[in-house]
Amino acid sequence: MLRRVVAILVVVACAGVVVAYQVTRPARAPADPRVFVPSPQFFEDFSPSFRSSIADAYYLMMVQYYGEHVAGDGQLDSLPAMVDLVTRLSPHFTRAYLFGAFALIDAGRTDVAYAVLERGFKENPDEWAFPAFLGYFAYQYGEREDKDLIAARWYEKAAAIPGSPAYLPRLAAALLEKGGEEEKAILMWGQAYLAGDKYAREKAVAGLEGILPKEKEARMKAVAPLYDTMPKADFDALIAELFKDYAQ
Amino acid sequence: MKQVAAIAVNTFKETIRDRVLAVIVVFALIMIVGGLWLGSISLGEQGRMMKDFGLVAVTFFGLIVAVFVAAGLVHKEVEKRTVFVLFSKPVSRAAFITGKFIGLCGTMAVVLAGMGVFLFLLVWAVAGDASSMILVAVLMIYVQLLAVMAVTIFFSTMGSAILASVLGICVFVAGQLSHNVLSLTRLGKNAVTEALSWVIYVVIPNFSAVDVKAGVVGEDTLAWGEIAIWSGYLLAYVVVVLALASLVFRRKEF
Repeated sequence: MLRRVVAILVVVACAGVVVAYQVTRPARAPADPRVFVPSPQFFEDFSPSFRSSIADAYYLMMVQYYGEHVAGDGQLDSLPAMVDLVTRLSPHFTRAYLFGAFALIDAGRTDVAYAVLERGFKENPDEWAFPAFLGYFAYQYGEREDKDLIAARWYEKAAAIPGSPAYLPRLAAALLEKGGEEEKAILMWGQAYLAGDKYAREKAVAGLEGILPKEKEARMKAVAPLYDTMPKADFDALIAELFKDYAQ
Repeated sequence: MKQVAAIAVNTFKETIRDRVLAVIVVFALIMIVGGLWLGSISLGEQGRMMKDFGLVAVTFFGLIVAVFVAAGLVHKEVEKRTVFVLFSKPVSRAAFITGKFIGLCGTMAVVLAGMGVFLFLLVWAVAGDASSMILVAVLMIYVQLLAVMAVTIFFSTMGSAILASVLGICVFVAGQLSHNVLSLTRLGKNAVTEALSWVIYVVIPNFSAVDVKAGVVGEDTLAWGEIAIWSGYLLAYVVVVLALASLVFRRKEF
């Protein structure tokens, strides 16, 4: 009887040791900011039939890795390699590019984030989100003096993609104006006028009012290039609004 | 022909009743449902994750069913000595092998159709973006597994069931790496190794030529012509391997 009790106690104690060991490990071993990430080439060679599945698995790992470190030690050393792996194995995985790019900003790697979005746009030229966010990144994180114009170019590209939101031409026009390219800004405000609803039209008219000269002749000369970029009815409606105070 | 049909029907009834098969299928369905959890941590990519990991689960559990059931088909008959009764009648070895294979094809069709339809309905109900491409991908997985089944049956005519299962899995993995063997043929200038690489490349089935899973998640545009040619190639491969299996089985003394 005593031997049986001792045996049970030994087994229970061993089980306790096993559980205690495992439970205390996470606190003793904080998440490593650097994890092993194989090269995309490795997976392309090793398993082309499962590359999108591997990309998805690494995407989930990337999200977990980001969440684990961004709120903790803030170190995201392996993030660039993860973003690169996922997007190269799955070049049309739009969300992986966008999430990766914003996560890379948190990792302090704006250069890599920009390059990731550029590659995403190259692979997915029909996705307006890429040039739109490239414009945002260029404006927000760019250090060059002409960053307004660089951002405006990206917004112009985004606005030209079918299905893009109506605010993009307005952003492009405002940044072109800010960058000193007023003639291009006028054309872009014309596109903003065409692209949107009543609100967008009011914004476009207000934007043009801010750029156009007050003197009637000069104003007419400035808006003349719009004639070639807009349907006649829209052009006439815009002219009527821009010159309503100049009647007679 | 009647003999083949009789053996096929019998094999189908026998394998579909297998409890191990039911356990594997239930486990596969649980894994497919597990895609829901993966989807929930994917930042809005639930549909993609469910489809992708669901198809991987269908592939791997389909592979397990294919190799383990195929490996035991011939061996069970020999071990239970039912094969003696069978061959005392005018049944050829080729008819036996073909009937066994066709019966197993039926079982695999039921298993994969079940998993495929379950995955389709789950994606449709949860993510709302189920496409018929899921079912096409399951069909392509089925065609791949037919080749694996044929190879496993071939190995089972030569060795033990366990060895045949292991070799069947090895052939599946080797088939995924087929393109690497092709690149070996271009390395070096040794004519012997080059010829050997070519032989290996031709002998192992090419599973890496088409990836329908990537098409399902919108990664690749599917080339239907290429898929049709690839399917035809795998079916031809099955015929050749079954012919070899029959040849080997014919030499066996009972």
